[in-house]
Order: sequence, then structure tokens, then C-alpha cells
Amino acid sequence: MIWVSWRQHRGQAISCLAVLAALAVYAILLGTSMRTAFGHDALTACLAHSQGTVCPAAVHAFTDRFGSEVNIAFWSVTLIVPGLIGVLVGGSLIARELEYGTWRLAWSQTVPRARWLAVKLALVTGGLIVLGAAMTAVITWYRAPMDRLTGHLEHNIFDFEGLVLTAYILCAFGFAVLAGLLLRRSIPAMVAAFIPWLAIRLVIEFVFRDHFLAPLTATVNCTQETCGEGIGFVPQATGRIGDLVLSIQGNVVTYQPADRFWTFQFIEAGIFVALTAAALGATIWLLHRRAA
Amino acid sequence: MTQNDAGDSPLALRTDHLGRRYGRVWGLRDCTLEVPAGAIVGLVGPNGAGKTTLLEMIIGLLQPTEGQLSVFGETLHAPMTARLARVGYVAQDHPLYRDFSVADMFHLGRSMNPSWDQELAQARMEALDIPLKRKVKALSGGQRAQVSLSMALAKRAPLLVLDEPVSSLDPVARLEFMREVMATAAESGLTVLIASHVVSELERFCDWLIVLTGGQVQLAGSADDLIAEHQVLTVPRATLDADLPGFPVHRTDSDRHSTVLVRTEQGRPVAREHPGWQADPVGFEQLIMAYLQRPSRSAAKDDTAQAAARPGPSTKAVSR
Repeated sequence: MIWVSWRQHRGQAISCLAVLAALAVYAILLGTSMRTAFGHDALTACLAHSQGTVCPAAVHAFTDRFGSEVNIAFWSVTLIVPGLIGVLVGGSLIARELEYGTWRLAWSQTVPRARWLAVKLALVTGGLIVLGAAMTAVITWYRAPMDRLTGHLEHNIFDFEGLVLTAYILCAFGFAVLAGLLLRRSIPAMVAAFIPWLAIRLVIEFVFRDHFLAPLTATVNCTQETCGEGIGFVPQATGRIGDLVLSIQGNVVTYQPADRFWTFQFIEAGIFVALTAAALGATIWLLHRRAA
Repeated sequence: MTQNDAGDSPLALRTDHLGRRYGRVWGLRDCTLEVPAGAIVGLVGPNGAGKTTLLEMIIGLLQPTEGQLSVFGETLHAPMTARLARVGYVAQDHPLYRDFSVADMFHLGRSMNPSWDQELAQARMEALDIPLKRKVKALSGGQRAQVSLSMALAKRAPLLVLDEPVSSLDPVARLEFMREVMATAAESGLTVLIASHVVSELERFCDWLIVLTGGQVQLAGSADDLIAEHQVLTVPRATLDADLPGFPVHRTDSDRHSTVLVRTEQGRPVAREHPGWQADPVGFEQLIMAYLQRPSRSAAKDDTAQAAARPGPSTKAVSR
């Protein structure tokens, strides 16, 4: 069964490795120049003793040079690529067998279909976890200099570090496997899985994420008008790199502190992993129900 | 005698009031059958008669809604692996993975079947001149059918189930395919169950017959017995069904005469005492066509009343 799963998903595995390789090449090229510039501008030393407030020019020069590339390039990638990978791999897993009638072949060998599905899901899920972890590692390495200026709680940064990128891939995969069983067609299954995946992904990011934990408040001696943008990505209101300022009302600032990054990663990844488990659980149950 | 055949040799297949419902519609209902080991069974019926439903339940692809089923002694309660191991299956249109090579397909068979016979599969490909390295998508329809058959045979299961095995093949490939099936069956004592609506194909090969229409078994038994039990009578048109010896299965009225296929008690001579009556033996194809044309009981309705009302030949056939 392991050989069968490998043989059937070999092409997908190679494609995923190609995507990963392309990402790595891009990250190494841009990441190396970013590291060079970071060291060249003596930002390390500056950040170490003043959170960047004594070298505003160097901070601005660095973020002006790399900020747009980092955000634009990765915004598109992180938004749809995990979903695409997930639905492309998951959409065909069962639907292709139903489409081509090969389920009659696959499920009439001396392997009950429940085991057939369990082995396939275990191996493919494992492969996707490895892929997600590798993509996360590459992106995190590449972004490291920029993250020292920005922290990683902000949108577009949070989404591709830590655990969530892998969880996004798994969730799209789970949705697509289930949709494939219900719709019995690969392409419609991919579309039907991608749309709710994207919707959930955006709603969680823009509606719920900022409130995973109750935000902290602090009183500052500036108002919305006079606090200004801060230097680099340091919010003037809190004065700490990586704090995510949600609002300033009068002189009360509401924010999520930078050290909640991992807590939030666990919460958001947990939501997506739970959705994955629900979708795959439903698939196993539905498949089992037709023939005990 | 059928009864003895079934009693002496082990049963390949036994079903008892087997039924499968899809939503509110019964795909198959009240199916009671016994097939002795070694039989070559033709399963005939129009599209939608429940043939595939029956086959899928036998194979283990579909769970029955009601009734019992046993294949070489493995009942519905047996572990799934044991049930699957009893049946080699060639599905309609011979599904294979298009981007696999023939060797890959056999590798799949080997890794999914503990009793896989790699030598048998490879020897068959050699004999048929099909290269193991060739991709499935580069094979002809006939070759694909042969690869499917080889996989089913290499599984070394005692029951071989073929669902419309030749309907997509040209006449030469059909002949080759059926010849292979029959040769192997004779060699290794396989029981073969062939679902088809090509009646003429079955006549040549099958010694056992099951006719399904509308989700109901209409006729089941050894072909020789069934032929012996039926006769075609040509009688004056005025003759009432009640006056006929035996049960009228199918009746065609012309201007002055009626042609009636009757089922009689086996061995009982059809009344020759009636002047003007003519009795002829029935042909295989004629027998099947008569049963296929019978209005079937609606499987969805209450069947106890109907079964009682109908002096059903199927009941007689299956109760032996």
C-alpha cells in the first residue's frame, strides 16, 4: 500500500519539490542581499541598544529598499499558494478514482478501503507537513533581518512563519479530499474546496485574529494625531518592536504585545488543524458507511 | 439434478433475501440464490436491473441493506480482508491507472494482495505479447482487458467476477478474452460470474443462469435444467392460461394461434393429448428473452402480497 501511495503521488511530490526549490532560490538571492544590507547599515548594533530609535535614517533606508518586495511578493504567495497546493493534492485523491472508475480496481484488492484511505491520508498528510515546514523554514530564514525591524505579529508576516502556513495547506487538503468524495470530480472538488478555504482564511485573519486574546491597553502621552507612525515599524505608542497596535483612542492605545506570537500561532494553526481533522474524519466515515 | 449439484459440491455463492436500497428505491431486493463451486454463471438483465448492485455486494464494494450473503463460506460478518480475498474482479471498462506501466499495475497487485501470483501475471503478458514496460494508456482496449483479467486471476481468488467484460471490445478481442477466461477456469476450477447483456456470448460459455429484471431475480438455475423445464407450446388462440400445463412465462398471440413459453414440472411430458397443440424445446436465447420481457414486480412496493399472488418461477428456481 505504501508503494501504491508513493507511485500515485510521485508526480505531485516532484511538483511540490519544484515549488519549494523555486521559493528557496528566490529567498536565497533576495535574502542574501537583505542580510548584506542589514549588516552594512549597522542596524544590528543600533537595534541592540535603542530599538532603532537612534538610527531612523538607516531603518528607513532599509525598509524602503526591501519592504515593498517582501510584502508584495509574499502576500500573493502566502495568500493562495498554500490553498492551491492543498486542493491540487487533495482534490484528486479520491475524486480521480471515482472519475476514472479505478475505485473498483483499488477497493477490490485484498485491502479494505478504510485501510487504503488511512495509509494514503497518513502518507500524503505527512508529505504536506514536511513541505509546509520546509517552506516556513525558507521564508523565516529569508525574512529574519526584516523581522528584527517589524516583529512578526503583523498581517502578511504572521501568515508565513511558525505553524500556520502548514496548517493552511493541510486544511485546504482536507477540504478537497472531502469535496472529492462528495462531488466525484477532481476539478469541481478543487474549486469547491478552495473557495471556503479562502473565505475562512480571510475571515480568521481580518476578523478574529486580532482578538484571539483580549488586547492590552496602555495610556500614552500622545494622541492619534501626535503619536505618528513611529520609526521604522516601532509603534511610537508602545515603543516596542513587534507590538501590533489595533487602535488609539484619545491617549489610550489598544495593542497585542509582540510576545503573543507563538500563542497566536498555536491558536490559529489549531483552528485550521481542527477543520482538517473534521473534513478528513467526515471523509473516512462516509467512505466506511458505503461498505463496512 | 440441480439440487444434487448444489448439495454435493461446496457452494461458491449463497444469498438469502439479499437487498440493497438507494434512498427510497430498491436497486435489488429479495435475492435468494445458490451457485455451486465451479459453475460458469451468466448474469443477465437489462441496464438498471440490479446486476452491478448484486456484483458489488458479492465483491464487498457495497454493503447490503438487508439479507445475507456468503462467498465460499465468508459471510458478511467475516473480516473485510477475508471477503475481498475470495473474489477476483474485472470491472466494466477495465479500469487501470493510465500513467502506470503494466509492470506498475502488477506491482500494485503484489503490494495489495497477499496471495498474488506474479509468475502467472507475467507469463500471461508474455503469452499475449504485451510488454511489461508499456504504459496503460498506450495499450489497446483488448490489451487493457487482458491486463485487468490477469490482475484478477493473479489474485488467486476462487470466484472470478466479470462485469460486462466484452461489451467494449471488438469481436476478435471478445473471442480472445472469453477463450482466456474459459481456459483458466477449466484449468484451475474457478467459479466464474459473468454479467452481460450480450446474451449470445453467454450461451456459448455458461452452464448456470441468473436473470434479473427490475431488481428481482426472475430465473436462476443450471442452464440444462432450465432448458429441460421449459417448452414452447403453440396452441389455439382461445386456449386459456389456466388450461395450459405448467406456468405460462411469456405468451404471444397471433391471429389464430398463441405461442406460449411454459414452465413445467421437470420430466413431466407436456400434454400431447391435445390435438392441434405443438410442443417444441426452447432455445437458450429464447428462454432468456422471454424472462427479460416479463413485466417485473416493482421492487419498491410491498412484495409479500405480490410474491404470494405470483406463482413465480423464480421462487421455484431459487427454493431448490
